[in-house]
Amino acid sequence: MNIIVCMKWTPDTSEADLTVSAAAKDIKKDDLDFDMNDWDRFAIEEAAQIKEKVGGKVTVVSLAPEESEDMLRECLARGADEAFQIWSDQMEGGDGYATASVLSQFIKGRPHDLILTGTLAEDDGAGQLGGMLAAMLDIPSATLVSRIEIKGQKASFVRELEGGLYESMEMDLPCLIAVATGLNEPRFVSIRAVRKVTSIEIPNVGIDEIGIDAGKVGQSGARVEIEQVSLPPEGEGAEIIKGKPEEAAARLAEILKEKGAIG
Amino acid sequence: MENIYVLAEHRKGVIRDTTWEAIAAGRKLSSELGAELTCILLSANAAMAETLSTEAPRVMVVENPIFETMNSEAIIKTLKEILKPSGSYVLLMGASNAILDFAPGLSVALDAALATDCFSAEVRNGKLFASRQMYSYKINSLVSFKDSERVVLTIRAGSFPFTPSDAAKGAIENVACPIDPTSLKKRFIKYVEAEKGDVDIASADIIVSIGRGIGDEPDLDVFQSLADTMGGVLACSRPIVDKNLLPKFHQVGTSGVEVKPKVYLALGISGAFQHLGGIKGSPLLVAVNKDPRAPIFRVASYGIVGDLNEVVPVLNEKIKSLKR
Repeated sequence: MNIIVCMKWTPDTSEADLTVSAAAKDIKKDDLDFDMNDWDRFAIEEAAQIKEKVGGKVTVVSLAPEESEDMLRECLARGADEAFQIWSDQMEGGDGYATASVLSQFIKGRPHDLILTGTLAEDDGAGQLGGMLAAMLDIPSATLVSRIEIKGQKASFVRELEGGLYESMEMDLPCLIAVATGLNEPRFVSIRAVRKVTSIEIPNVGIDEIGIDAGKVGQSGARVEIEQVSLPPEGEGAEIIKGKPEEAAARLAEILKEKGAIG
Repeated sequence: MENIYVLAEHRKGVIRDTTWEAIAAGRKLSSELGAELTCILLSANAAMAETLSTEAPRVMVVENPIFETMNSEAIIKTLKEILKPSGSYVLLMGASNAILDFAPGLSVALDAALATDCFSAEVRNGKLFASRQMYSYKINSLVSFKDSERVVLTIRAGSFPFTPSDAAKGAIENVACPIDPTSLKKRFIKYVEAEKGDVDIASADIIVSIGRGIGDEPDLDVFQSLADTMGGVLACSRPIVDKNLLPKFHQVGTSGVEVKPKVYLALGISGAFQHLGGIKGSPLLVAVNKDPRAPIFRVASYGIVGDLNEVVPVLNEKIKSLKR
């Protein structure tokens, strides 16, 4: 079983104070911490667990600049056998389509039975990479998958719909599965486990090695152009209760009582 | 763009609301572009087209048992064939979990640009723009589509309110199924319902809901105690279920449970769209979060910016004393 996992290197914006860059085409990222996209953490874990069950080889690939090497090394510590970092300066400013174009070109030349990735990325939240990549490779795909079982040349899986409803399905291999968060419990990775894999070389692959035209990557290969980013209008918003925590909490309790909100 | 298409979404034989909202978006773009609006229905039961034809001037129907469910492979292959001769167009669909399963692959098959989960779309000087959110829902992004002749947009629920029109009944056109369903590599087996729990948050009036912001090793008793004091139930957002801290039947959101409380106390919940989409009605929404920029504060009536460990115990004690 040859498993390829596509990982994204994303800025942690969940609790950061974001500011728009001068040209208003993106946010300022200099002060943000970057890490493995949370959804992809479940994808690499699932790959490791499938390998433990049915055997095979796990290859991790990410289209990201040099700094992402820590993430790829962490993937090796999580159970991947090899990792590739894909980057050329021309890849800057690409969208999901441009990224899928590069990854499909890279994957085409390698054996692949199962491709795993996260359904969404925390930065653009588009949920498009997996489906686009599968279409380019002409293999079936599924998103928001919360359970996977490999049975011979088939993958049985369950995917999430709305309102607590799921659909149970199956696909022939090779296929691509974009996972939902929560389908497994990503293992704890110790510093020692990361040290063990420090000697594994993580090759950097550029557009020449991949054999893709520069016009198909980065901003020129993108189909979507960001015209402008902005902070959403403030709107009415919440009335913020000021004061020390205990004062604010006490005031909130009174408000809840006034509103008849205490059962 | 010469044409506007809307793909109808259905489940268990019923047209879903996402379809009507996509039609609302389609009407807007169709008037801005002067393009014709066509609704496409892929269904096991062509009679569903009757409902659609009251709202769309033209309905194209492909009837086949494979379209009992929204099988992504069947939909991509079928639309690729039936839209081949269609020139330039915008294809609109709801941003649902079923549609997320095929919208990206479909855009590649149609050689179209894609923007998902759009909350607005408009045409200015003949050019199409769409708006969506990025970076933990904290940033709005206005996008365009270069020189793409075809664009696929998925529409965020609630962004294009639908009002039924009293227009004349549209024409229904039956199209032969262009694919062989037996050749598909992806097969639907059955629907599965999430397990029902001992707590029914759907019918609760008072909900204390916890999210990622409660930290990595939280003491859930603190939050359960507050819920008990308030006479409510404990619920949560997705990360809490992902970490196995609470079972799935506690999860509020589009993929979890829809709730309709009178009071919703959001603790450490950032306010992702998928979470807020599960809160119906207009409850008194109160948020406590240490990030003042958390999107939850945009929709809450009251908020405290602060540390839950400091706020929640005091809140609990204070409510207890007010109840005496």
